[in-house]
Amino acid sequence: MILPTPAEKKQWEEEGYLVFENAIQGEDLKRLQTAFDHWADACKEEWLDRVEAGDAVATFYDIPNPLEKDPIFIDIIDYPSYYGALMEFTDHDLILLGPQVRTVAPWPVSYTGWHPDVGYDNPLHIKVQIYVNDVEQGGGEFGFVPGSHKPGSGPYTRPMRQESMTGHKTFPGKAGTAIMFNSCGWHVSMDNHSDTPRKSIILIYEKRTPGRIGPQQYASISEYCQTPERRKLFSLDG
Amino acid sequence: MPRIDAHLHVFTKASSEFPREISDVWPAEREEPVEKLLGEMEKHQIDQAVLVQMAGASIENHRYLLRCLKEYPNRFLGIGLVPEGHPNPTDHMAELTDNTGIIGFRFSTFGGPRDIFAKMDVREFAAYPIWKCAAERDYVLWLYPNAINAHLLPYLVQEFPQVRVVLNHLAVCPGNGKFSWDEFGRPQIQVTGYNLTMHTTYRLARFENVNVHLSGQYAFSQEEFPYKDLAGWHRGLLSGFGVKRLMWATDFPWILEEPGYGKLTTVIEELLPDLSEAELADIMGGNAKRILRFPNL
Repeated sequence: MILPTPAEKKQWEEEGYLVFENAIQGEDLKRLQTAFDHWADACKEEWLDRVEAGDAVATFYDIPNPLEKDPIFIDIIDYPSYYGALMEFTDHDLILLGPQVRTVAPWPVSYTGWHPDVGYDNPLHIKVQIYVNDVEQGGGEFGFVPGSHKPGSGPYTRPMRQESMTGHKTFPGKAGTAIMFNSCGWHVSMDNHSDTPRKSIILIYEKRTPGRIGPQQYASISEYCQTPERRKLFSLDG
Repeated sequence: MPRIDAHLHVFTKASSEFPREISDVWPAEREEPVEKLLGEMEKHQIDQAVLVQMAGASIENHRYLLRCLKEYPNRFLGIGLVPEGHPNPTDHMAELTDNTGIIGFRFSTFGGPRDIFAKMDVREFAAYPIWKCAAERDYVLWLYPNAINAHLLPYLVQEFPQVRVVLNHLAVCPGNGKFSWDEFGRPQIQVTGYNLTMHTTYRLARFENVNVHLSGQYAFSQEEFPYKDLAGWHRGLLSGFGVKRLMWATDFPWILEEPGYGKLTTVIEELLPDLSEAELADIMGGNAKRILRFPNL
């Protein structure tokens, strides 16, 4: 387990985010890209049918139940390059809430506006966004307002245009980059004016609270969760 | 400031004078005439309204709407329809707007790729000539996009920033097969608990020419009036579009029996109780007057 350096810990506390370049690389990145492309392609028509029926969002889609589709989607949940930081920041009491294996289409407007996910009274809620393809500036890259995770920061208001958000920073990056952020902080997907869909995986974690995730939630992948640490991460023992 | 009902329908019995399409809900003998509407408006201090064509898109089908507009030129403006696949929609629109009180047209499809990941060339969209004509002749486009068309809209809005766009009924984009009629003769649209339009039509708030109706609550809500389960949707639209681009409407006559016209004149204050008096007046008519250019009374 790679624990965060003192500088990383300081940045996490003060800014609310960390960037892990080349967090996933080599064969693992290839496995991830291959599985992503295969399943995104396989699931697309069904998603379009659901859009037509008014049951799914038209501007992006997630591969349903990705953990059951390929073990690489399980392996990235506790991937060494960022898992140590997740454990450190949650006092080694981390649970997975869920993955979003997401393809976002180029569109004149981003599919979402600036927002925090949770309030300050929520147990520490962390997301890790992993780029599966290269994401250029203006290609739907992640945006974050450093320091906005702290109680007393702001107030923040939603601007009409993503780029008008006060104090924001954007995060273009190569495939395999992982961006970890405190979900109390204001964040967004910037507009994607390129011709390339943004492929990324958003892993959602939280500091454990009893009963938050039931043992059935990830029971279908229990064969891949033989260590006590994984069983705890996936809430398999309740 | 006038109080304006920004979206409703009137129709008369089907006849050779006023031909129209018929259905189970609007059979030939049913009528919801303009006089009945005027009675409700009078009773509830509503000054003006937008009459939206229904039951047919041909020129002849618009006769009753045209008569109402001619008879009450200061009270009403009209929105027309264009037959799907019309060989020359711009001629059709020109004929219907020739000093008649019809200011625009209602659509739900745009004729572009079904797949948002496809290459988008807005000039290839079937609706492109209609939007171009609207831009040239200053028509309002009255949109109730179906779900599979929602992603096409920003390409058109971006191409024609001068066209005034009004998204109907809380900017919802109904899914295929999700439409029905309830026991009160009201349209019902089955929607998901999570508001999908947050990621499509709500995102058009950036475009200053896009406006939204606060109407049709009865069709989406799981509750009775005042439809408190939709308060969050209203707050979201207010936060995104601002108070100057929202318009209240009743969707008369479908709401006459339940909850009744009078109750619907209070739905905005019920769902957005923190509005100031001036903000409420904007939504209840000031915005419609400014955006749609209603005549002074």
